[in-house]
Amino acid sequence: MLGENDGPSMIAYASDGAQYGLGFFVPLIPVLFAMAFICQEMCMRVGAVTHRGFGELVLQRYGRVWGWFGAGDLTLTNLVTLVAEFVSIRVGLAYFHLGSTVAVALGLALVVFTLSGGRYWRWERIVLGLALFNGLFLLAAILVKPHLGAVAGSLDFTPFPGGSFNTLLLLLASTVGATVTPWMIFFQQSASADKGMTHRDIKHGRYDTAAGAVLAAVFGVGALVAGAALLTHHGAGIQGFTSAGFPEALKHVAGSGAGSVFALGLIEAGAVAILTISASTAYAAGECAGVSHSFNNSPRSAIVFYAVNIAIALLAAVVILIPGAPLLSIALNANVLATVLLPVSLVFMVLLANDSALMGPWANKRSTNAAGITVITFVGLCGAAYGIDSFLLATRLIGP
Amino acid sequence: MKEAHRGPGIPEPDRQPAERSEDQLFMHLQRDQLVTETSRPLPRAALSARAAAALWALRVFVVLVGLMVVYTFIDQLR
Repeated sequence: MLGENDGPSMIAYASDGAQYGLGFFVPLIPVLFAMAFICQEMCMRVGAVTHRGFGELVLQRYGRVWGWFGAGDLTLTNLVTLVAEFVSIRVGLAYFHLGSTVAVALGLALVVFTLSGGRYWRWERIVLGLALFNGLFLLAAILVKPHLGAVAGSLDFTPFPGGSFNTLLLLLASTVGATVTPWMIFFQQSASADKGMTHRDIKHGRYDTAAGAVLAAVFGVGALVAGAALLTHHGAGIQGFTSAGFPEALKHVAGSGAGSVFALGLIEAGAVAILTISASTAYAAGECAGVSHSFNNSPRSAIVFYAVNIAIALLAAVVILIPGAPLLSIALNANVLATVLLPVSLVFMVLLANDSALMGPWANKRSTNAAGITVITFVGLCGAAYGIDSFLLATRLIGP
Repeated sequence: MKEAHRGPGIPEPDRQPAERSEDQLFMHLQRDQLVTETSRPLPRAALSARAAAALWALRVFVVLVGLMVVYTFIDQLR
């Protein structure tokens, strides 16, 4: 779950804070992580009971067309998101005066290093160890010395954001896409199967997922609170993904400690997400191609899995090295694209969790279905609202 | 005993969890063996015509909105 707090997500939370201050988005983040918990719990349960990944189950139970559609959506959103992760590492490193080449080398070296163990557990422990540093965003929030009364006062969803309706929709879609993501569905289920979970582990899997959701929500709110310091200091110089903008801006308003911690947090968030997102792509490719797809297999016996894992990260790395590539736009649209394409995967997730032939007594209860349908509706509405409103504005069918 | 659904790799829903021999087997398999064990194909699930139509409608809608986002993205680059 901590992998959800990736680079573009933390920038999205911080942007919420910088744009609107403490208010609507503070309680929204825990609500969104509650939605992410509902989805991830279903995926974990299906993976534990069926011992199979999401792509494999959709392909086998609902046919190749739906299986390949899902894998295609995932590959597209993963590639765009991976570019954003490399950009996030680059932004963090730029604060320490290091360039794009170092960001690419660091990301790729991590992917290759974590793949070299030949066991799922080794990969997971490395990722978990790195993910602990997501707590740096909480430290950044403490360093900006927020008014605790203002943080507590915002828990009633007020004040509601004003200003441009399209900017609000962009940040809403981006924030939703930061917490409930396509790669999370594929990764959570495939990883549950790969680590050898069974129905006996479901209870512990729930605790694990819930703990991750709570920590990720706390750290996400931390990034928002840190970003809100830029609003109270007149939003000085927020450059987002260009150069070392966000950490630099924080340095000016809250000191070099806050800037450094935020920059290190961005490096960590990008690094962890590169590992999990490239793994989710590799799982999907292996499952849809019907070949070995496990960290427990050697590279020789799961060549597609290992090759895709490295190739997708390499492809994203190449994009950020292209001079003049629109990295800022790619990064900002990564979460939005994920939100727009997500509903179909969520529907299949609920269908699989209700498949009594697969799930037996562990199939969804009525209350879980109601929660799942609420999540699908909310995500679908947020993505569609931004997509349609932006299109109408871009084609000048409506005015700003 | 009521006959269980015995599709390859599919758990038997009408038996008690503790009796599920397939899962008992999984518990004792090494992880590499588990991967091999679960590589057998599953039978297709039956989707009603209404459910299939709803899924296709959602698919088309998602692609249309996705194209709108891509159009906006390209427009913002100009």
